[in-house]
Amino acid sequence: MSSLPRRIIKETQRLMQEPVPGINAIPDENNARYFHVIVTGPNDSPFEGGVFKLELFLPEDYPMSAPKVRFITKIYHPNIDRLGRICLDVLKDKWSPALQIRTILLSIQALLSAPNPDDPLANDVAELWKVNEAEAIRNAREWTQKYAVED
Amino acid sequence: MEQFEQLLTCCVCLDRYRIPKLLPCQHSFCMEPCMEGLVDYVRRQVKCPECRAEHRIPYNGVQAFPTNVTLQRFLELHIEITGELPDPTSGQIMERCGVCSEKAYLSHCAHCEKKICEDCKSAHMDILRREITRFNSQIRRSLHRLQDSLAIIEKNTMSLQTNAISVTEEIDEIYHRITKAIKDRSDQLKGEIDRYLAVELRNLTTLKENLDLEITNIGSNCDIVDKYMNETVEWDDCELMDTKEIFLKTVEFLRHFEYENNDYSRRVRFLVSIDPNQLVMNLATFGDLNIAPHSTPGGSVSSSHLAPPSGLQPGLMRSKSDHRLATQFRQQEERGGYNDEPVLGGRKFGERPQRSATNSDRYGESSRYGRSDYDYENDYENEPTSGRTGKSSRFRSRFVRSHQNDDSDTEQQQQQRQQELKERKDRVLDSEDVSRGQLSGIIRLSDCSRVVQRLADIGKEKKSDKKSDAASAAQAAVQAAIQTQKAAMQRQQQKSQQPAAAVDEDELARQKRKSAASSGAATSAATSEAGQDQRPNSERVATLKGPRGGEDSDGSGSNQASSPVRTATAATRAESKPPVSAQVAAVKKTQRSGSSDSSASTESSASSGAAATAAAAAAASAAPSSSSQQKAPSTARHSSARDSVATTAVPEKKPFVSRFLPQHSTPATANGTADKKKAESSSSSEEETSSESESESEPETKPKASATSSSNSASKSTPSSASSSTTAATGSSTSGSSYRDRLEARRASRDDSALAAASRSTYATPSSSGYGSGSSSTARTRTVPAPHHAGESEDRYGSSSGTGSSYTSRFLNKSKSSAIVTQPSLSTPTASFDEDANGTGDDSDSRYGTGRSRYLAMKERRTRLARSRSSHQFGNEDDDLDEPVSPTTVSPSAYLASRYSGYGSSDLSRSRSSHALKSRDNSPITDRSAGSSRAGALGSSSTDNKDGEALSSWARYLKNKYGNKSSKDTPSSSAGSARDSHATSSTAASSSHAHGIGSSGSGRSTASEVSRRLSLGLPLRQANELASSDDDGSKNGLGSPTSPTVAAAVAAAGITGVAGTIPKQVYLRKRQQLFQLGGRGSEPGSFTWPRGLAVGPDNSIVVADSSNHRVQVFDSNGIFVKEFGEYGNGEGEFDCLAGVAVNRIGQYIIADRYNHRIQVLDPQGRFLRAFGSQGTADGKFNYPWGVTTDALGFIYVCDKENHRVQVFQSDGSFVGKFGSCGRGEGQLEHPHYIAVSNTNRVIVSDSNNHRIQIFDVNGKVLSTVGGEGSDDGQFKFPRGVAVDDQGYIFVADSGNNRIQIFNPDGSFLKTFGSWGSGDSEFKGLEGVAIMSNGNILVCDRENHRVQVF
Repeated sequence: MSSLPRRIIKETQRLMQEPVPGINAIPDENNARYFHVIVTGPNDSPFEGGVFKLELFLPEDYPMSAPKVRFITKIYHPNIDRLGRICLDVLKDKWSPALQIRTILLSIQALLSAPNPDDPLANDVAELWKVNEAEAIRNAREWTQKYAVED
Repeated sequence: MEQFEQLLTCCVCLDRYRIPKLLPCQHSFCMEPCMEGLVDYVRRQVKCPECRAEHRIPYNGVQAFPTNVTLQRFLELHIEITGELPDPTSGQIMERCGVCSEKAYLSHCAHCEKKICEDCKSAHMDILRREITRFNSQIRRSLHRLQDSLAIIEKNTMSLQTNAISVTEEIDEIYHRITKAIKDRSDQLKGEIDRYLAVELRNLTTLKENLDLEITNIGSNCDIVDKYMNETVEWDDCELMDTKEIFLKTVEFLRHFEYENNDYSRRVRFLVSIDPNQLVMNLATFGDLNIAPHSTPGGSVSSSHLAPPSGLQPGLMRSKSDHRLATQFRQQEERGGYNDEPVLGGRKFGERPQRSATNSDRYGESSRYGRSDYDYENDYENEPTSGRTGKSSRFRSRFVRSHQNDDSDTEQQQQQRQQELKERKDRVLDSEDVSRGQLSGIIRLSDCSRVVQRLADIGKEKKSDKKSDAASAAQAAVQAAIQTQKAAMQRQQQKSQQPAAAVDEDELARQKRKSAASSGAATSAATSEAGQDQRPNSERVATLKGPRGGEDSDGSGSNQASSPVRTATAATRAESKPPVSAQVAAVKKTQRSGSSDSSASTESSASSGAAATAAAAAAASAAPSSSSQQKAPSTARHSSARDSVATTAVPEKKPFVSRFLPQHSTPATANGTADKKKAESSSSSEEETSSESESESEPETKPKASATSSSNSASKSTPSSASSSTTAATGSSTSGSSYRDRLEARRASRDDSALAAASRSTYATPSSSGYGSGSSSTARTRTVPAPHHAGESEDRYGSSSGTGSSYTSRFLNKSKSSAIVTQPSLSTPTASFDEDANGTGDDSDSRYGTGRSRYLAMKERRTRLARSRSSHQFGNEDDDLDEPVSPTTVSPSAYLASRYSGYGSSDLSRSRSSHALKSRDNSPITDRSAGSSRAGALGSSSTDNKDGEALSSWARYLKNKYGNKSSKDTPSSSAGSARDSHATSSTAASSSHAHGIGSSGSGRSTASEVSRRLSLGLPLRQANELASSDDDGSKNGLGSPTSPTVAAAVAAAGITGVAGTIPKQVYLRKRQQLFQLGGRGSEPGSFTWPRGLAVGPDNSIVVADSSNHRVQVFDSNGIFVKEFGEYGNGEGEFDCLAGVAVNRIGQYIIADRYNHRIQVLDPQGRFLRAFGSQGTADGKFNYPWGVTTDALGFIYVCDKENHRVQVFQSDGSFVGKFGSCGRGEGQLEHPHYIAVSNTNRVIVSDSNNHRIQIFDVNGKVLSTVGGEGSDDGQFKFPRGVAVDDQGYIFVADSGNNRIQIFNPDGSFLKTFGSWGSGDSEFKGLEGVAIMSNGNILVCDRENHRVQVF
């Protein structure tokens, strides 16, 4: 295994030194490319008060390819499926090497604030979100309470 | 400021921009690796990471995008403002790493000589560190050799002094005696004269008085008569008558009186019984100093302890002999060439190696040396052709040592270097201010400024928290410490040099004094010493004239010498490390302290005379003195001196010593050290020698003379004195007649040897050349018996017969070694051999299979001993007659003949290892003690080997089988004699001999074995049991060779006996595990995937601990004894070794599986040799697995992936192969293990064919056992096989996890074991082995253990 690129080191340092509010990313002890991420649900969103665990992995050719991010905590969101996979353009075709871990995580936080049912991953959720947004949001709140709030 | 920095940061790599390239969208990114990574090569587009704009890539790639100059300026500005260090990689271009081929910023790696990336480099540095650590531990382990040598040197110094003192005392004593004798005599004579004078005087006085009286009387008478005898006075007739009577008487008296003049005029003469001139001459030469060239005494100075045992030396360099040979060779080829390369290739420590450009520049610029460029150009031309420059400096540095011997070279280099120093301050090759080991050229690390710096840095780092001056103090402290160390070292050096020098001068003075009185040796010593002293001067002159001059002389000197000397020199070189260039020392010294100048010069002369010293050693007392001159190098010198007179004598005795001397010694050299090409060189040397030492003109004595002359040359005597004053001749001259005796004896012995089917040439050959250095020792040893003989022409040990007690006794004392050898050799020649063997036992096997030079070198001592003994026996043939007759002695011819023609098969002769063959040359010489001397030469092991080879152990086999049944005795022995077409005498002799076994109890006497087997004379092998060849050869035995007594004795002593008694029932009872060894782990006594198993000759258990890459040895009770080997592909390193075997002399033969080679290690686990590499050709392997060896020493290897078995001689030369991939008869598929029975049946586990195939030695299938299945007698992937000495076959049925035992005929006997990890359960069987007591060893691989049943 080749050593860690400087960019990853720098990013990690910066994440530790200047953490983004509401976002906490800690590299794994054994694998510096693997991060344990905690994102708090944004205010004024159905996910408010929730603490969502994610995992983030920087592939070998990072930053030329996007990091792999997945929700570990269950979440009720039209763009996030049951397995926690995230439908987010910057994680896919819109990835740019100029983006960073922090920007990606900010994007994810933003995605929580602004679900996009038109580009769904979890179709049933998206359907409900489109048909009955209130109920969907209620569901999201329930899930958040159920899975993402630690007592 | 932060924003500013951010602007200068590439958003892709988050680093400072490196060559920012501007995209059309006005965003900038580093060219590498960022921009490169952005490229979409398929669409030839680059997508801006910032704005996602897509741009076509210019034709020339991303580097064609314009560089953002503004940004670059900003970068520069930023650097200026902040003063931060520029990125070390800035300005560099990424390249593919030479190792991992990743793109990265590369730097040069000194380890692999490639440009590689940081990661790989650090990995390489780690490797280097590890290697250094390993070497360090190795060095630590072997450092004691140097210390041992040091101790020996000290001892030698002591003994040298004692020796010198005692000799001086002797000389004084003799002097006093002689003077006293003269004084007494002259006093006596004077006394007599006085007495005589007194008596005569008294007589004369009396006479005179009487005469006076007469005259007075007569005168008065006359007066009275004149006056009164006339008319006037009245005299009566009576008175007149009386007067007349008186007068008549007076007349008569006067008439008759005659003074006996003669009586008193005779003279006293001082008559000298011997011609005074003669006497003076005799007195003037009343003693000679003669230094025995090597450890044996001669003349009045013995140097027997001067020479440290060669066995001590070679360990360190053991594996290098080949290189050394090559070095020698090369040195010769390039003699005069530029061949002076210091340890680091002339670099300063830590300096980057120079590229060849500088080199060529340097050599090209030969006009600098103030001479025509012709020579140098040539020299330099020569180098590439000899493949040096091409190979790399690393390789060259190996040859450093040899060059340093050439002092003129060094001298010249010094000059050159100084010039260079002036011309180019920055030249890397300048001499650093370091202390260099005189022998090895190893510099002291702590002297290197870089090291100092590093250490200082460390100190700094440690104290970086503290104030800076603290840090500097630390540095100072470190430096001070180093300085102190240095100083200490320096002092030590000086100390060692100054007294040495003093001693030297003392010695010199003494030499001179002696040389006044004595001619011959002393003179030569003085001369050579003088020569030595002169050398530096003349060298300097030569150097001044032109560097070439010194070199030339050097060249010519070595030219003369080196061709014959090569081997021996190589051997010598092996031990003598190159003295560090005197120049370095000198420079250093002057720099350090002016006072040490003298010592420096001493040193330079000394080191320049490094080999000259050795030469001087040959030339007598000069040697010890000068060798004691330098403390450190003296070991080397000692050894070299000892190794061969001639070796060093010639190359260093330059023409200016004397034309005559080198000439004289050259033949001796040729003689002493001639390489094994023998015949020519020996004959030529003989000729020369004989022409020189004319006195020994007898053709028969020629070989002897040649041998002698080596010592002759040492004492550098004129031809006439050659015969009279030296060694062999010396001995005889000291007591005139004995010389004759000896000659006759020798002749007689020669006749014997002729009888012994030893052709004369053989005899001559080994004595003069065959043994390289050994033969020089021959010369030496010859001297030993000679004086002996001389001193005690009748009584060997009788002390003071004719020649004066001092001599004889001295000889006896001084020649202790020889005397010791002699003594036993007389009473029990073979026993004395034993002693030899023991004394040098260590070497015996290592010598066995290594490079030639080492072989020779190591053999030296032994040969010497053997020789001395044998020659002694020559000398005392008569005395020996009454001794018990040993068969080997009496009937060597029969013995040899039986060997050769008895079975006559080429097989046998082929089977003898080359060593054995070589040794055979020796044996005829010492006909009397053929067995023992051969053994002496060969070492115990080889004797044994040969016994096995030559005679096999059919007898033994028979005995094993029938030994217990006395009824069979006679048949077997009769069969033996029937088979033995030779000499009943030999049979008889041997039988009488063989009884030695019975009575000697130890019963392992090789000699007796030999004879016994000879008497039975049947070619069969025996198991390893004989490996320890004791040669006690007590000849007073009584039994019959095949008698039960003998069998019992052998059974008690040897292993076979036990094995021989194993009945089938024992095997049938096998089921229960006795004990087990190991367990998973890497500590001693544990295993990781053990595979091969073997039983050593001493019943040790040898386990190939495969994945720990080592061999472990346990005793027969499973107690861990030792381990050796580690991971790697170097010598003595293994990579997942598989099979292991132990031959009968205890050498380990190891299938180094992943290195595709076989390694042979000596019984101590030291590397002897390796052979094979990956491939399919003959002698190459593809994952060699099982390995075994037979009694003849052949090595059988299961070449697993080549599906064949290959057979090699014990020296690794390919003999044959059999098997190919397939299922047919004689074909093999993945043969794993192999065993050879003592009936020469080769048992191979044909693993993937699920069968055991049994071949004969030629590869013909004898039978096949088994087939796939789980029934009795069937196999699944059989692996380990073993066979006991009765032919029972043991198979590790790996797939069925059981051991199967088969009768010798291949029928099933017994099975046991099952899958599991409990006792008697197996998981993955590997090797099996059978111990001599019938215990079965099973390698239980997955359980990482060895079970014993």
